[in-house]
Formats: sequence, structure tokens, C-alpha cells
Amino acid sequence: MKNILVGSLLVLMSLTSFAETAEEKGLAIAIEGDKRGTGFGDSKVALTMVLLDSKGRETSRDMRVKSLEGVGESGDKSLMIFDTPKDQKGVAMLTFTHKVEADDQWLFLPALKRVKKISSRNKSGPFVGSEFAFEDISSQEVEKYTYKYLRDEVVNGMDSFVVESDPVDKYSGYTRRVAFIDKTEYRAVKIDFYDRKNSLLKTMENSGYQQYLGKFWYPNLSKMTNHQTGKITRLEYGNYEFKVGLQDKEFTKNSLKRAK
Amino acid sequence: MKNIMKKALTVGVAVLVATLARADIAIDGQVNYEATAFFNDSLNPVIDQNFNNSLSFESELYTQWDDDNQSLTFKPFYRFDEMDDERTHGDIRELIWHKLSDQYELKAGIGKVYWGVTESNHLVDIVNQTDGVESIDGEEKLGQPMVQLMLERDWGNLDLFVLPYHRERTLAGSDGRLSAGFDYADAVYESDDEENNIDVAARYYSYIDEFEYAVSLFHGNSREPVVGFDVISNQALPYYPIISQLGIELQYLNEGWAWKFEGIHRDGVSENTILGPLGSLVGVASAGPSLTVADDKSYFATTAGFEYTQVGIWESRIDLGWVVEHMYDSRQEKSSQAAFEHDVLLATRWAANNSADSTLLVGAVVDYEYQDFSLSIEGTTRLMEGLSLEIEARVFAPAKDAPLYLFRDEDFVRLTLSYYL
Repeated sequence: MKNILVGSLLVLMSLTSFAETAEEKGLAIAIEGDKRGTGFGDSKVALTMVLLDSKGRETSRDMRVKSLEGVGESGDKSLMIFDTPKDQKGVAMLTFTHKVEADDQWLFLPALKRVKKISSRNKSGPFVGSEFAFEDISSQEVEKYTYKYLRDEVVNGMDSFVVESDPVDKYSGYTRRVAFIDKTEYRAVKIDFYDRKNSLLKTMENSGYQQYLGKFWYPNLSKMTNHQTGKITRLEYGNYEFKVGLQDKEFTKNSLKRAK
Repeated sequence: MKNIMKKALTVGVAVLVATLARADIAIDGQVNYEATAFFNDSLNPVIDQNFNNSLSFESELYTQWDDDNQSLTFKPFYRFDEMDDERTHGDIRELIWHKLSDQYELKAGIGKVYWGVTESNHLVDIVNQTDGVESIDGEEKLGQPMVQLMLERDWGNLDLFVLPYHRERTLAGSDGRLSAGFDYADAVYESDDEENNIDVAARYYSYIDEFEYAVSLFHGNSREPVVGFDVISNQALPYYPIISQLGIELQYLNEGWAWKFEGIHRDGVSENTILGPLGSLVGVASAGPSLTVADDKSYFATTAGFEYTQVGIWESRIDLGWVVEHMYDSRQEKSSQAAFEHDVLLATRWAANNSADSTLLVGAVVDYEYQDFSLSIEGTTRLMEGLSLEIEARVFAPAKDAPLYLFRDEDFVRLTLSYYL
């Protein structure tokens, strides 16, 4: 009896997957990708942001990011601390990601000792002068986009899904993003960003993926190319540390003021 | 520098030596060269210079231990000013021990805190004294001796302060520009304990989604002096009354809008000017041993307005902000010189979002009763890693009967080069 039930269930499942729409398949891929990233607990990473202008001139910024994974309905929390440029040392940004509503974000300005809540309306703006927008560096919650599976394609020798994601938030700077996600590990190898006029604006390429805790894949380089200006920003990540025991109290407004 | 500051400096040097012996100490330093050009000759005939050089140095030493749950910060500051002896000054911006536990945070030493949300005026911000010779916008502060207990709970944040020592406001001397042309006599206090009066303060703050709010209380020596006159020495006389202040801060973010409000109610301030039959009289006057102080008067003051930000204007990377704030003081013409009693700030803020983090703030403060205004430009950019440039320009167009009339020939442009070690 049991076997028959399981058998019919399998048939049912294969039928539904057969009838799956492009939207359902896109969402399923996003959910699977999110699931594979779930359970990291907390993390710490140092990174260097290298800005390259169209003439090849380089400037860089060093920063550290601490993250705490959200449990249940609450999204991730993150604290970003700037070490260079030296005049920006001690500037820190606290973000509470929310799945549906706008994120909460505060900026700490050490010279004035002032904590300023910043508007999430700002999300399409450049992040600290780079080619990354605020929305590109914030935690990517599944609920923030609607999805559509487009096709399969081989990218960098990897068999990949090509999935379009449309931002739900009207203040996003994009009409759509097209992500290339490798089929074995569900890593975003490349994402194309289309601006509000639906022309190709930027491409992000992630490389040097390393596996942590035998499960989580993180790139050591994210390269964002702006096709309209020729500018490039490289995010060069150091080694990630996971499950270092970060707690909620390290992600509060008071923690911003003591961030070092 | 008063005795307690000397003691603090001694402790600071001891801490410096002790911390230098540790391997895990972070040291940062900054040297600022400032050049100021005044457009007009000073009204004060003693001053024959329209150009001023100034050099300042600030440093930060930081160390932490106890699994990062305890830390010590030491931030000395010194400025050498070519013209104004009062502006040549040193300060310990911070020398503070910090302890973090699961239940609370505790700070003890010389520290700095900031309260408030508005841009034009900082009414609520009362813990630290203004370092008035540094900048006329009131944003530079002197280190404040304090014990601060911070509680962060589900119901919000509560900060409690004991402030055992009062710092006198620094004010430009008679040989400097941007001064009233007077030297200052020794400060006089209402408190019998004078600067050693123990002041207390508390602030509760929290938020609901995009709405942030704070309520604060302060009781003790006023940070803002009532400026009187010493008839014998012919000097201005700073008088610090004991005051009680209730402060409210509100901010609501809605899409591109940031709506802001700050309000204070202050009790215990002596009237600054008395309108008598022979015209206005100074509210505090000293003739040798006899001090005349006008009656206390409670008042309230508010700053309210908005900042609207357009992200990426003209399809560029530039953010453009519009700031409009209204300032009000219930004392009106009897308010202190520093007060904005019926003024409006109109400003525009530009952020280039470039690799040099260039910003520009251009503003006008218009007093619609006195029919006068002042203009300001503040810009910053980074020339290269470790070298920043700041520009500040101010133009004063005061009416004859306005408090700022003394500043009518003090229009200036100031360039500051900051080198980070």
C-alpha cells in the first residue's frame, strides 16, 4: 500500500514538473540556491574594493563585513566597517535585511559620532563610489524578485541555468537581472543587469569559488563591469570565517558606534 | 587648561606609555593645514591681517582586550593658530575606557556623544561643550568627562550619564577674526560648585520602521553661556546658569523624504537682554565683586524641516538633496546671540558618488524678521589616498540691528588640507 502511494506520488511529481511554467522553474531554482546558502550561521570576511576608471586608474578601499543569518521570518543582519581610505576609517554601516519590506540601514560617521538612518530609497545609488549599487551588495532574499527560467547555457565550461529575476521594489535601478547559475552547485557565475530603460548596464562575474564548511560556496572575486561607462569595480575577498559565534548584540546601533 | 584637564593629560600620557608597550595598539594620526582668507579688513583696528594660517594635529590610540569586551581610546588634539591665541589650544577629545557586557555597556573617562537629527542647528545636543574657536557651525566639540551607562533592550535604548566636570565654551579672542572684538573674563557659574557641579543626563531612543524618536533630559551647568559684561575689566563675561532641558528628536523617512524635528524646553536660563526704559541692557553684568544677573526665564526652541534626496539625477551618479529647515526660539528678540530665533535654512547637498567621495553643501540661512541672511559653502574631496581637501566659505549679510552685525566684514574662504598618517 505504502509503495503504491509513493509510486503514485512520484508520478504526480514528474507530471507537475513536466507542466512547470518558466516562472515556477525560475522560482524553484532561486529557492534551491537560497536553500544551499542556508545554515551558515554567522560569518566574517575582509575585502578590498578596487575601483578602475575608464583610463585604468585604480583606487581602493578596505573593509570588513560581519554577517548574522536571520532565523525564521527575519532576514540577515550585517555590519560593514571601513578601514581605508584613511579619511573614511571607522565609518560603519548596519543593515537589517527584510524579506518583503524595505531594509533598515544606519550609517555611523565617526568624526561627529553621529548615527544616521539612511533611506532604503537609496538602493539604486552607487555604493561608496563603486559600480556596485546598494541593492547589489545587500542580502539577496528570494522574496525580493520574481523569477523566470529562460534557458540552459554553458558558461565558463559549466552547464548553467539562465534565470531572469525582476525586482519587486519599484525603487530598484533595474528592470531585470539575468543570472547564470551553475547546475551542480547553484552558484551565480555571472549576472547581467538591465537598467530602467531595459538596456544592458552592468555585468557581474564571480570567480575563484571556494567551498567552506563542506557546503557553502563563496567567490574570492566579484568583478562588476559597467558597459555604459567602461568602469570596473573588483571586490577581492579574503578568507571567510564561519560560525565564529557572532551574536545579535554585535548588530545593534550601539555596536555601530564601537565598530573598530 | 584647567587642573582637571592637566590631570587628564597626565593620565593620558601614562596610558599612552602603557599602551605603547602593548603590541596590539592601533595608532592613527592626522595633520591639517588650514588657510583662511578674509575678504574685508577687520572692524577691529588692532587686526591688520586678512590671511590666517593654522595647523592642527589629532591622533587616535586604540587598544582592546578581554576578548574585545574592553577597550581604551585616547584622542589628543592640538591647534596652532597664527592670529588668535584663544584658537591656539589643545584638548583631549577622548580618553575613555569602554566595557561591553551582555546586559550593559559602560564608558568612563573623557568622551563624546552626539544627539540630534537636524542639519542647521543642534539644539538637543548638550552633553559635549562646543569648541567654538574651531568652527562657527557648532559641530566641533570638546572632550567631556563622563560616566555613561548604555542599555540596549527590546523596548529601545537608554543612555544614562553622570557628567562631573564642565568645560567652558572656547570663544575667539580679540586678536582673532570671527570674534566680537572682546576678550573674555573668567567664567562665572550659578552653581556654588562652579565647574565641578555634577551634571546628569539621560536619553531614550528607539524606532518603529522608518520612524525614529528620542527623548532626553539634562540637568546641570548650561553648555551655552549667557554672555554678559564685566564693567571693571571691560571684558565679555561668560555666565553659566544651572538649567534643566527636555529634548525631543523625531525623524521619519518616507521614500526620498527625511522629515526631521528637534525641540527643547529649557528652564533656568537668565534673560540675555532686558528691554528697559533706556533700551536693551545686558542680562548679566559684573562690576568687580558685585554680579547682577537677570531673572530666569524658561523658553522653548525648535528646528523642523525635511531633506529630499533625488538619487542619480540626470541619469548620472550624482545624488542631489534639498534641505529646508525652520528654526524658532520662543524668546524672539531676547534670545541669545547664538540662537536662531526666526530663521530658515535653504540648502542643497550634492554627492558625486565618485572614487574621491566628493560632496558639496551650499546653503543660506535667512532671518525673515531681521531681513538678513548668511551663505555657506562646504565641500570635501580626496586628492589621493591619505590626502583630503576641504573648502568652506561663508558670507554674512546681517541687518544693522541683528546679532550677527558684528560679523558683517568677516566673510571668508577657508581651505583645509588633511594628511592622514
